[in-house]
Amino acid sequence: MIRIKQALFLIFGITSFIIFYIGFLNFLTTQDNEMGLIILIFSGIVSSGTFFATFYIANHLTKPIESLAKRMKEFSENNFISKNSLDDKGISELTALHKNFEDMAQKVGNTLEKEKQLNLKLKEMDKRKTEFMSMISHELKTPIMPIMGYIQLLKKQELMGNLNEKQLDALNEISIASEKLQKLIQDVLMAQKIDLGKLSINKEIVDSKDLLEKTFKAFNPICESKNIDLKMSLGQTSSVYSDSDRISQIFSNLISNAMSFVPKQKGIIELGTKDDNEHITFFVRDNGVGIAKEQQKNIFKKFYQVDTSSTRKKEGSGLGLTICEGIVKTLGGKIWLKSSENKGTTFFFNLPKAKIQVDKIHP
Amino acid sequence: MKKMSKTISKSTKQKSRLSVLIVDDNEQITKLISSFLDYSNHDCTVVNDGKEGLELIKTNQYDSIVLDLAMPECDGHQIIKTLQKDDPDQLKKITILTASNINDDAVKKFKELGISGCLQKPVDIDQLLSNITKASS
Ligand SMILES: Nc1ncnc2c1ncn2[C@@H]1O[C@H](COP(=O)(O)OP(=O)(O)O)[C@@H](O)[C@H]1O
Ligand SMILES: [Mg+2]
Repeated sequence: MIRIKQALFLIFGITSFIIFYIGFLNFLTTQDNEMGLIILIFSGIVSSGTFFATFYIANHLTKPIESLAKRMKEFSENNFISKNSLDDKGISELTALHKNFEDMAQKVGNTLEKEKQLNLKLKEMDKRKTEFMSMISHELKTPIMPIMGYIQLLKKQELMGNLNEKQLDALNEISIASEKLQKLIQDVLMAQKIDLGKLSINKEIVDSKDLLEKTFKAFNPICESKNIDLKMSLGQTSSVYSDSDRISQIFSNLISNAMSFVPKQKGIIELGTKDDNEHITFFVRDNGVGIAKEQQKNIFKKFYQVDTSSTRKKEGSGLGLTICEGIVKTLGGKIWLKSSENKGTTFFFNLPKAKIQVDKIHP
Repeated sequence: MKKMSKTISKSTKQKSRLSVLIVDDNEQITKLISSFLDYSNHDCTVVNDGKEGLELIKTNQYDSIVLDLAMPECDGHQIIKTLQKDDPDQLKKITILTASNINDDAVKKFKELGISGCLQKPVDIDQLLSNITKASS
């Protein structure tokens, strides 16, 4: 690297030396002594003039550039520059450059400052949203506790005294409604948690076969009671490093959806796994009403339901699939479906396989 | 002190009847739990204030304690902290019952302190009773 000063001195130093040298040579070789002396003095003046001009220019050229470089560095560090300490007597192009840089820095600085303020505001809002959510969550759960508790207590007729048929029927209705309310509250809070990226995940090695069998056992009784044939097709067993409770939550949502869309007679739900090299794919297949192509992209949206008519058979909030998608994504997988109207629906979700398993396959 | 240990040995004789302290600022919840315990033949003391709760724990011997976490002024965390310093033996009698979100790390921490159980509202009251019984032994 070479500095401007060095370059200038190199160029003009050599030039002035050559001028002086030519003058000196001329002085030595010329016959006309007087003329030779004049030329020598003249070349001396020119070369020393060049030398001093170089010195002057070098100073006025490099100083503003150096200071510009310094100010740029300052700006990149602090997004702010101090006021100009340069006088206007210097090279005008450089002074203009300084001025323009100053203007630009000021504008960029202002924008950055605004952005910083905005970011702070957003962070503050995010914090308040979280606080608000945990407050709401607390305030919703607190009154649900005595509602559900007293329902449970009333049902204990050995402690509370006998209820007649009508009272029992009424109690049952309250009980069903409060369970639904409780489920809705849980779903809304869950969806919020996912939105805020606050879903807690507890990873462990989970065996796909164990998981599927556990799910099957959990849902078989209720399917039997509804005359639905619950099947299980186990693919190759592998393990995932994931959160089994969250996976169960996904299954629970998908199966309860399937249960509400299979035909009353001969309803079939099949749970299963499929494998590829990197992922294990779980699926829940039903022979229900299916989902039209144009609806398929919507069903993962919050609160979206295909049939929103008041006569719709199925109840729900439209949050189930939103939650499924949120959990699957948090666990590093994908969720998708295959369906056509009246031909049943299959929901798939995959999860990355545990590394240990991969090592076992390729030792 | 001697007197107290006598009453303890007496109460352990008729094991089925427990004396339970319930600390929760929500009166409906304390009423629910105390009614249920009462009907199930247990003795129940209810307090809707954290500070009073702490006093009662320090001055009386209960078989089991149900403790809410979020309470104004003196909350469950504070009570636990104080007991940890002054009377850590009490901690194993505590069943936490809270509507706040507690993650697994928090549950683990409570377990490490010796706290018997950690339940979320709304809770199945049978499960609560079985936790209360477990904490008393
Ligand atoms: N297995 C299925 N068969 C047919 N339609 C389904 C199935 N699963 C979901 N859907 C459609 O997707 C919508 C959204 O589902 P979901 O998010 O679970 O909400 P909810 O079950 O509360 O309605 C449902 O209302 C339904 O229209
Ligand atoms: Mg659903």
